[in-house]
Amino acid sequence: MKYVILIHSNPQPWGHPTPDYLPEHQALPAEEREAGNRAFDEGFAEVIDRGELVHAEALASPTASRLFRWKGDQKIVVDGPYAEGREHLAGFFLVDTETQERAEEIAALFGARGETVELRPVMSEGPDES
Amino acid sequence: MPFEDVWRREAPHVLAALLRRSGNLAACEDAVQLALLAAAEQWPREGLPEEPRAWLRTVATRRLVDAVRSDASRRAREERAFRLEEPLHGADGPEPTSAGEDLLGLLVLCAHPALSPASQTALMLRAVAGLRTAEVAECFFVPESTMAQRISRAKATLRAHGARFAPPRPQELPRRLHAVRHVVASMYSQEHALAELGEGAVRLARAVRAAGPDEPESAGLLALLLLTHARAAARRDGAGEIVPLLEQDRSLWDTTLIAEGVSLLGEVLPVGPVGPFQLQAAIAAVHAEAPTGEATDWPQILELYRMLEQVEPTPSVRLGLAVATAEVQGPQAGLNLLATADGRTHRHDAVEGHLLARLGRDDAAREAFLRAADATRSLPEQRYLLRLAAAAGTT
Repeated sequence: MKYVILIHSNPQPWGHPTPDYLPEHQALPAEEREAGNRAFDEGFAEVIDRGELVHAEALASPTASRLFRWKGDQKIVVDGPYAEGREHLAGFFLVDTETQERAEEIAALFGARGETVELRPVMSEGPDES
Repeated sequence: MPFEDVWRREAPHVLAALLRRSGNLAACEDAVQLALLAAAEQWPREGLPEEPRAWLRTVATRRLVDAVRSDASRRAREERAFRLEEPLHGADGPEPTSAGEDLLGLLVLCAHPALSPASQTALMLRAVAGLRTAEVAECFFVPESTMAQRISRAKATLRAHGARFAPPRPQELPRRLHAVRHVVASMYSQEHALAELGEGAVRLARAVRAAGPDEPESAGLLALLLLTHARAAARRDGAGEIVPLLEQDRSLWDTTLIAEGVSLLGEVLPVGPVGPFQLQAAIAAVHAEAPTGEATDWPQILELYRMLEQVEPTPSVRLGLAVATAEVQGPQAGLNLLATADGRTHRHDAVEGHLLARLGRDDAAREAFLRAADATRSLPEQRYLLRLAAAAGTT
């Protein structure tokens, strides 16, 4: 089953990997950060090795967004960001796993302090396999 | 016969022959691929060899030996892992003699319990059905690189578990064949399975049957997949929307596949014991033989579901039983069965919606369809259920 892992984050300045630009993450002791990075690298290498990674993209700064909106019966185009909130969509990973549990395991690899990770099932053109 | 069909037919046999000499599936597969490339170059120019299988085997064996040699010079230690000098099935094991035994060994290797279900299917499509990696990737809507990774990992897993190509011991055979059949069935036994998978699944089911012709359940599996695939053209309309079984245009059903499935069942059903695949195939055959949806022989289907529930009491079998019960004894009888069902999925909600609608309980029907639509992960199914929810009470 396919799942998308959405990284909601607010790196300052905007950059990737996002944890490198998150004050909460940077405040951690260097050892802890390195241990975290290693754990991520190992976990993500396994995702690739198991043939579970379908696609991934890092997104440009939300200030680069152009928003296509309706104002009354007029379609208008304005500059982003889309969300007023603190977090923005920073990137996504599309994975294909055997179970929901495994998808959750992968999603748990992501997300430094100060980020929210969202796991969403992807709809299929074929039958429901769950 | 086009060259491509010859390769497809011969490749698994060539692979099996190579595997008898070397246990390394990855190396053997590469060698077969190289032999196919050589054939693609030579055959159109020089014509089909008299014995294509022997030709391919000779070329592939040469490539395999080349690969092992060059690898040996690079990494002497790994060379031992190729076990080219060792006999594969131990000194006491019987030498596989027939093509059937070769195929069986290959199928059993692909269905190795250490592999995940998705890897088992991918490996079978690749090694037994002869699909290219790109074609296997298309079946599962993933990039070729992802599928290549999955396949090579599956091979590495087999190596790590010391899994070897060998015909299973007679006392293990029933259990191994059972596992093989389940891998094949899981690909394509759903009504709304993608037609793309159908040909590969049917080809695999044929291989399973060829590997053990005396197994009635293998014939049952092949019959089930033939009868399921026969409906492929009618399962979706021109816009790609789901057409439910009873509303399908039966003139689109493939009568050749149906005839083969039905006659296969006619051969094995009297032999017994009648297992779950034969019963599912028998249910599919009853549908196939009804001239219209209305003419379906539901009492017979209900009886078959009752037998199926005896041997395989799964939630999806009980759901089928509820549907058949509703057709024979009325919607309320079906709802009563659903009320006590365990392992509920969105399919239970969908069936409940249909039965409630028939009782004229439109609001409850609409809610059941909406619950099902929210829970399904299939786009066409969601569109279908949302249409039903919108229609509840308006007709």
